[in-house]
Amino acid sequence: MTSAIRFEGVTKTFGDYEAVKELDLEIQKGEFFSLLGPSGCGKTTTLRMVAGFELPTTGHIHLEGEPVEAVPPYKRNVNTVFQSYALFEHLSVADNVAFGLKRRKVAKEEIRTRVGEALELVELAGREKAKPAELSGGQKQRVALARALVNHPAVLLLDEPLGALDLKLRKQMQVELKGIQREVGITFLYVTHDQEEALAMSDRIAVMEEGEIRQCGSPEEIYEKPAGPFVAGFIGVSNLLPGENGGQISVRPEKIWLGSLEPGMSSLQGTVVERVYVGTTTQVIVELDSGVRLVALEQNTASARADDRWEIGERVTLGWHPEHARELQ
Amino acid sequence: MSAFDRPRFLRVFVAVFFVFLFAPIALVILFSFNSSRSLQQFDGFSMRWYETFFESESLRDSLIASIEIALVTMLIATVLGTMLAYGLVRARTRWSDTANVLMLVPLVTPEIVAGASALLLFTQVGLELSLTTIIVAHITFSISYVTVVVRARLAALGRQVEDASMDLGATRWQTFRLVTLPALWPAIIAAGLLCFALSFDDFVLSFFTTGESPQPLPVRIWTEIRFGVRPTINAIGSFMLVISILSIGLALLLPRLLGRRESGLKVLLGREAA
Repeated sequence: MTSAIRFEGVTKTFGDYEAVKELDLEIQKGEFFSLLGPSGCGKTTTLRMVAGFELPTTGHIHLEGEPVEAVPPYKRNVNTVFQSYALFEHLSVADNVAFGLKRRKVAKEEIRTRVGEALELVELAGREKAKPAELSGGQKQRVALARALVNHPAVLLLDEPLGALDLKLRKQMQVELKGIQREVGITFLYVTHDQEEALAMSDRIAVMEEGEIRQCGSPEEIYEKPAGPFVAGFIGVSNLLPGENGGQISVRPEKIWLGSLEPGMSSLQGTVVERVYVGTTTQVIVELDSGVRLVALEQNTASARADDRWEIGERVTLGWHPEHARELQ
Repeated sequence: MSAFDRPRFLRVFVAVFFVFLFAPIALVILFSFNSSRSLQQFDGFSMRWYETFFESESLRDSLIASIEIALVTMLIATVLGTMLAYGLVRARTRWSDTANVLMLVPLVTPEIVAGASALLLFTQVGLELSLTTIIVAHITFSISYVTVVVRARLAALGRQVEDASMDLGATRWQTFRLVTLPALWPAIIAAGLLCFALSFDDFVLSFFTTGESPQPLPVRIWTEIRFGVRPTINAIGSFMLVISILSIGLALLLPRLLGRRESGLKVLLGREAA
């Protein structure tokens, strides 16, 4: 595999504020790569440096092996999908999508074909003549996507593209985006603060905090083997317990057994203090004798009976398989 | 609940307000068609005062001068004001806030002060008072109006649209021409016509900065009145009113005629397009 983007000791400061610190990262061609972190973690700044809107204070960025510090945004072979769509309101859908091709003086006939294909890809064929103001939020984001993809960039940069959509549409677009990425085979660099979104779509995720990458790996690695307390807390729900040698132990709620345990599991005693029904599961909150509170999940499956469940105040034995406990430093 | 809470009272209040606002204007228009010299009594319809107005060479010259001043002011102030707005919104320096406040100063400066200082400046520099000096003075205060209107529009447009344009391969200049300017047009046109209307009926600044001849129409009217009010004034006044209403009307309508969804009123009030 060859690299699409390579960051080499990239630092970006705004005045006294260090937005990105000594970033080293390599993103492979054809990857769906997500930068995940809370707002202010430096993920958007990193994306904007790839696009060329910001320049690294120190360090180098290579696009397909070539250094790009000296290349202005309009000459970089990358395109961006913005959270606010950033469509050109005075142009039709077709003219919005054709904008990039026209700047590169692509022949008229080819422009028409490619614009048609791009709109087909995002399922907006037939809306060529519509103005952005006539479209819904989801449709606008599809136009923004088509407008970027039609140029066949080396890397597509997506800056929280689904952030403005409602939950249901967002879930649907996640599946579609992943499908489109697989179909066109373009490298996607995806910025989001939504951990579920990143887990659902990415080949690899870099979790960022305070301008630094805390962990980089596949969704499974990030979720199952969080590298530190920040990643464990930011991705999903984690139970943190004091460990043996001063560190912490993290156990995911769905890995905790209640009641009957298997041999070889670690085992603790506690009291049920709260039940929170959330649909497919019920969160059972248990206070250990040491005072630490843990969350465990009870599946609301067809076989689960209403009279057979953990009630508040009940004493309970809980435990987990040792391989599901992760020691953090 | 007292009677004052009721919408009926408010409706009457609004009606009275409009009567007080428009009745004097309506009277001027009515008496501009009076067949006699009387300013108290309407004696029948006639166009004689309009004829007197257009037959007087000096009045005609004044009208043409006023239109010329307003047109040149409009063009130059619109270009300069748009550039200023662009700089104020897009420049990222620690002086931006200061500059954004300072540019409002011409809007709140008493016109007497602006006029006197302009006169002082022109005399110091040794510039002879003429149409040019009036135009320079008018441009100075008009720029602020353009900037306020265009700046609001530009701020509402946001930076990401320009980023998107450059991201898609447009240079800075192409971005301005193909993306920024088309988005700003309604605001620019509205602001330009507003400048035209303001310049066309400005008296104080013009009075301070005008040369001997030709004088702009408002100054000319004032000169006339000093020798007694004649019914011609009503005709000139009505005619000026028509031109002012036309330019403001155009400012409100043109954005719509250009195929934009938002009205010029929204643009002038600085409201964001939906």
